[in-house]
Amino acid sequence: MSATDLQRASRWVDDHGQCLYRYALVRVRKPEVAEDLVQETFLAAVRGYEKFGGRSSERSWLVGILKNKIVDHFRKLSRELSFTDMEFLSDEFSEKFVSVGLWNHDKGPHEWRPEPDEVMHRSEFWQVLGDCLSKLPEKIRAVFTMREMDGVPSNEICAILAITDSNLWVMLHRARMALRECLEMNWFDTPAGGTV
Amino acid sequence: MPEEPYNPSPIGNPSVLARRNWWQTMLVKFIGKHTPKCREMVRILSQSMDEPMPLMMRIKKRVHFLICCWCQRYEEHLHYIRKTARQFPEHADEVSGASFPPEVMERIKQKLVEKVR
Repeated sequence: MSATDLQRASRWVDDHGQCLYRYALVRVRKPEVAEDLVQETFLAAVRGYEKFGGRSSERSWLVGILKNKIVDHFRKLSRELSFTDMEFLSDEFSEKFVSVGLWNHDKGPHEWRPEPDEVMHRSEFWQVLGDCLSKLPEKIRAVFTMREMDGVPSNEICAILAITDSNLWVMLHRARMALRECLEMNWFDTPAGGTV
Repeated sequence: MPEEPYNPSPIGNPSVLARRNWWQTMLVKFIGKHTPKCREMVRILSQSMDEPMPLMMRIKKRVHFLICCWCQRYEEHLHYIRKTARQFPEHADEVSGASFPPEVMERIKQKLVEKVR
């Protein structure tokens, strides 16, 4: 490793360490695991720097490496921990629906404003999203974040976590329903969110 | 008067089709009877985020949306969540909570030097 490589790696840790560490922590919750994942990410980045052609920003590239490390972490975890256990939301927000299965119209989804492109510039939104994600139970969150944040195809998630398609769909459905509800209550229906 | 079981359109429903006249009421009832109920529809909408929806179900969904703005909003929200969730990793440092401890930063730098040497 040359002095230049070392300087570059040190700058990555200063510039992107905070972002990568917090992201890893949202995903795995345990600080020591997050630290290991971030460290492995920087190590892989140093070793694979030649492959980085500057097609994306440094941060996107590093986040991409971290996402792969997180997937590997869950792959290992699934050997020790069953992801087929169904956690929480057994009634799937039953108060949202009337007995015949239609929306309870007073509690149905509201219109969401502003558009996604606009909220992406507001740090309060990311804070609320982070808080809502942290309320999801561990396994459901792992499945949801892998699918929606990392964009891992559903068949690959089933293979990584050794779960069936139908288990995956139930878990994703529950996660989406809980997250939608949490975002609506804590962001879109508040003055900061802009719906009201 | 109690709500009829197959009529998903309350007074003031902002959906495209609502009980604004006799014809609309008949149409709403017909569509309500022949498309999945909302509880089932939201499951189907979630699943369609992960695998393609069969053609017949896509048609039923479109028709259901005519009488149910709530399911239509639900689908929009799923796409909203996906779009923002994909951007989350690059904004993770805007989330407060555990900060990146300086000692961890130094430890990582130290290990990088040791491992790459």
